[in-house]
Amino acid sequence: MNSFRLLKTFTVLFVLGTSVLAQSQPTPAKRAGAHVEISEVTSAPIYRARILFRVGAALDPAGQEGLASLTAAMLAKGGSKKQSYEEIVTRLYPMSASFESQVDKEMTLFMAASHLETLKDYWVLITEMLTQPGFREDDFKRLKEDAINYLKVSLSNGNDEELGKEHLYNIIYRGHPYGHHNQGTVRSLEKITLADVNAFYRRYYTAANLTVAASVPRGLPVDFSPSVVSLADALPKSEMIPALRIPQPQLRQGIEIDILQRETRSTGISIGFPISVKRGDPDYPALLVASYYFGQHRSSNSHLYQQLREARGLNYGDYSYIEYFPRGMFLFQPEPNLARQQQIFQIWIRPVQPEHGHFALRAALFEWDKLVKNGLSKEDFEATKMFLTKFAGILTQTTDANLGYQLDSRYYGTPSFVDYIGETMKKLSLAQVNAAIKRHIGSKMPRIVVVTKDAEGLQKSIIANSPSPITYNSTKPVEILVEDKLIERYPIIVDSSRVRILPAAQAFE
Amino acid sequence: MMPNMFKRVMLLVLGLLVSLASIISWAEDAKFFPYPYSVDRLPNQLQVVTVPLENQKLVALYIVVRTGSRNEVEAGKSGFAHFFEHMMFRGSENFTPEQRDSIMKRAGAEGNAYTSDDRTVYHQLFAKEDLDPIMKLEADRFQRLKYAVPVYKTETLAVLGEYNKNSANPVSKLNELTRATAFSRHTYKHTTMGFVEDIQGMPNEYDYSLQFYQRYYRPENCTILLVGAIDQPRALELTRKYFGDWKAGNHHPEIPAEPLPTGPKRAHLDWPSPTLPYLLVAFRGPAYSDTQKDKAALDFLAPIAFGEDSELHQKLVLKEQKVDMLAVDFEDHMDPELFSIYVRVKNPVDLPYVEEQIAGTIKKFSSELIPIQKLNDTRSRMRYGTALGLDSSNAIGGFLAPYIALAGTPDTVNKVFEVYRGITPEDIRSMTLKYLNAQGKVVVTLTTKTVATKETK
Repeated sequence: MNSFRLLKTFTVLFVLGTSVLAQSQPTPAKRAGAHVEISEVTSAPIYRARILFRVGAALDPAGQEGLASLTAAMLAKGGSKKQSYEEIVTRLYPMSASFESQVDKEMTLFMAASHLETLKDYWVLITEMLTQPGFREDDFKRLKEDAINYLKVSLSNGNDEELGKEHLYNIIYRGHPYGHHNQGTVRSLEKITLADVNAFYRRYYTAANLTVAASVPRGLPVDFSPSVVSLADALPKSEMIPALRIPQPQLRQGIEIDILQRETRSTGISIGFPISVKRGDPDYPALLVASYYFGQHRSSNSHLYQQLREARGLNYGDYSYIEYFPRGMFLFQPEPNLARQQQIFQIWIRPVQPEHGHFALRAALFEWDKLVKNGLSKEDFEATKMFLTKFAGILTQTTDANLGYQLDSRYYGTPSFVDYIGETMKKLSLAQVNAAIKRHIGSKMPRIVVVTKDAEGLQKSIIANSPSPITYNSTKPVEILVEDKLIERYPIIVDSSRVRILPAAQAFE
Repeated sequence: MMPNMFKRVMLLVLGLLVSLASIISWAEDAKFFPYPYSVDRLPNQLQVVTVPLENQKLVALYIVVRTGSRNEVEAGKSGFAHFFEHMMFRGSENFTPEQRDSIMKRAGAEGNAYTSDDRTVYHQLFAKEDLDPIMKLEADRFQRLKYAVPVYKTETLAVLGEYNKNSANPVSKLNELTRATAFSRHTYKHTTMGFVEDIQGMPNEYDYSLQFYQRYYRPENCTILLVGAIDQPRALELTRKYFGDWKAGNHHPEIPAEPLPTGPKRAHLDWPSPTLPYLLVAFRGPAYSDTQKDKAALDFLAPIAFGEDSELHQKLVLKEQKVDMLAVDFEDHMDPELFSIYVRVKNPVDLPYVEEQIAGTIKKFSSELIPIQKLNDTRSRMRYGTALGLDSSNAIGGFLAPYIALAGTPDTVNKVFEVYRGITPEDIRSMTLKYLNAQGKVVVTLTTKTVATKETK
C-alpha cells in the first residue's frame, strides 16, 4: 500500500561553472567546472532542485532598482517563447508543481519540485522558461504592477514589521550596492522597460553564474542528469563578469532614527548596524551563539524575549539576528540562499502599545548595552552552544532545506552546515564569544526605525530624552521595577536633526 | 504561538493559499495516507498515534487538543482558547518556564503551538534521544499546569501585542467582519484571535482560565501523535509512564447551533490607510465529513473554479489584470463554516465587475458539468501534492493533526479519501447549487476610506 516512503535522501549537487560573486573560494574540487557530488540517498519519488544564479539586487543598475527581481519574476511567473504563462499554469496544474523565485542582493534562486512521474515534462517546461523566456508585454505589465503594489500597498501599508525592517536596511546601506529594497522603488520600477529586463537577463543568466543543487530520486531516467548540463548550455552566452566585491558601509558615528508615520494601532521598532562578520569568518560561530542567546528568532529561549515579553508583557516577541532574515513574521526558521558578503546585527522589537514605544526602545538599547558590557555567562554559553549543535540538524531537516544549505556552504566556503556548526561549537570558548561581542556588536552608530502613528509625539519625547515610566497590570518582582527605573531614563543621545519623520507611504517611493 | 487563522490570512495575502484538498493523495490502489501507523488508547481514554519512519534521527511530537475558538461559548470569552495556549508555556508544578526553556534548549528542540477554530496543537521537533525528558515535560504541563496571577496578567498583554501586530493587515479586519456578518449564534462568529474588547478583558479572567484548563485539558479530549524515529512500543511505554495517571474529565460544551442562513448579506469596511480594495464573497459551507460528499465535492470546486488554473483566475489575474489575488479559503471544520473567495482588486471601480464575474462563475458551475478531464487533472494534482508535501516527520505530523482534531482518529484520512474517490461532476454541480446560493451568501468589501467617500458622493 505504501507508494513511497521517506528514507534517506539521495542528493546530488551539480556544480556548473564557477561563482562570480563568491568572496570565499570554494574547495579546489568544486572549482574545477561541471561535476557531480553525491551527498545522500533517497527513495522518495520527488525531484527537488535549487537553481541558483549569482546575480541579485546589488547588480541593479542605478535608476533601475528592482531590475534583478523583475527579471527573475519574468522567468518564474511569465511565459516562455513556446508557451504563454496561461499555458504554463495549465501544464503545471495536474503536476501540483510550482516554480518559484527568490531574489536577494547577490543571489537569485529558482525553486523547482516535481514528482518523478511528471519530471520529464516539468523539466522541459522550466528549462524553456529559464533559457527561452517569452518576455511578453502583458506578463511584464502584470509583474511590474505586482512589484509596485507590493511596495506601495502590501509592504508600506499592510505589514508594519517588514516595513520597519526593510527600511532599516535601506538607511544602513544608503548609497551602497545593497541600498535599495530587492523589489526596487516605485519610481525606478515605473521606468524599467522590457528591453532592460532582456539585457539584464542576457548579461547575467549565464552558465558561469549557475549552480544547481538537486535531490534526485532513485529511478530517475538515465538521460536526465545531462539535461542539467543542457540547461547550462542553452543559457545566454556572455563574457565572464568580474567578481563583485561588496564593501562594508561607512556610516557616520552616532545614532540615527527614522520614524515612519502611518495609521496603525501599535509601535514597531527595528535597530541595526553593520558587522564585519559573515558565515565562514573566524568570529561567526561566536556571534551566532551571542545572537541566539540574546534573541533567537521566535523562541522563548532568549534573553530579549524573556525580558521584554515574558517579564514585562510589552509585545509578542523580541529577537536579534546576524544574517538577513526577511519575512520573519511568517517563518519559524531562516530560509537559505540569502547569502551576503555584508551583514548587519539587528534587533527586532515587535509592535508595542504606542504609549510604551519610547520605553520599549530604551529597553532594547539597555539590554543591548548589557550584552556588550557583560557578555554571556558560562551557563548561557554552554546551553546555547549545545542548542546550536543540535538545532543545525533541525534547520536542515528537509531535503529542500538541505540543498539550500549546501549552496550556502559553497558560497561561504564552509563544510556542510551541520558539520560546520558542530565542529566550530566544539572549539568555541566563552572568552571568544564575549570578545567577539565587544569587537563587533559594541557599535557606536546604530540606526533605528520606528513605525508608529504619533510620530511627532515620539520624536519630541526622544529628542528631549523625556522619562518614559511604565506601569503594569500586575505586580512585578523588585528587580524588574529597579531595572525599569534605569530604563525609563536610559539616555538616547541623538542629535535632533537625526531623528526624522517620514510618511510610511514614501519609504519605498 | 500563532493562531491558525492568522497563518491563513498571511498565506492569502501572499497569494499562496492552497486548498487543503490539494494535498490529498490519489493512487487507485493506495490508501490516502501512505505511512503505516498505530492507534492506541490508554485506560484514561488518552489516544496515542504512532507513525514510525525509517532512518530518521528526529521525532515530531504533536499533542492535539480538540478545543479551539469554537469552544468559546460564553459571552466575553472570545479568543480564550488561543490565549490559553499561551498560558501552557508559563509553568507547571514541576517545571518553571525557565526550567522548561532550559530543557528544550539543551535538547536543541524546536517547539511551538497554534490555535484554530476547532483545535489547539502543541508541537515539538527534537532528536530521538531527547524524547523521554520532553515527554516528561509535556506531561507535566498537561496535567499540572501552574501559574500565578501576575504571570497570567502579563501574558494577556503578549496576546494584545499579537492582535496589534496582526491588525496592520486589512485581511485581519476583513475576516472579523465577515464572520460577524455570517454568523448570529455559533462561535464561528468570532475569529480565533477574538474580539479586541474581549482580549482587553482577559486580565480579569484568571479564575476562568483555571476552569478552562479543567474542562478541556483532559485525556479524552487529547491525542499524542509521535512521528519519525519512534516505534509503537516505545511510544506506549513513555505515554503510559508520563500520562497514565491523567484523570479523565466529562465536560461536553454546548456549541450554539447556527440557524439556516438568511442571506444574501452585505457589509463594508472603511480602511484608514491606503490599500487595494478587497472583496470577500463567502457562502455557508458544509462541515467536514468522511462519509458525506458535500464538503468533498466543494473541495474540488475550489481549485477548479477559483484556483490558479481556473478560467476566472486566468481571466481576471492574467489576461485582464484587474485582480492581483484570487484565492479560496475552505478549511475543514467541525461545524458548517464558510467557503470564502478572497479577491484583491487593483482599481476600486472594478469591484462591481469582479463581483459579477464571481457570481457568473458560480452560476456556471451550478448549471454545467465540469469536464471529466478537469476532474482527473485535479485528482492528479491532489495525488502529487501529497507526495510533495509529506517530506519530513514534522510535515506528516502537521498534516495529521487537523484530521485527528476533526474526527478523533487518523483513520478518517483514509475514509475521506474514499469519499474523494467517488466524487463526480454531478456531485460538484449539485453541491455548488446547494451551498453557493443567495441564501448562504455574504459579501464584504474593504476599501481605503477616502475612496469609499468618493464613491458615496
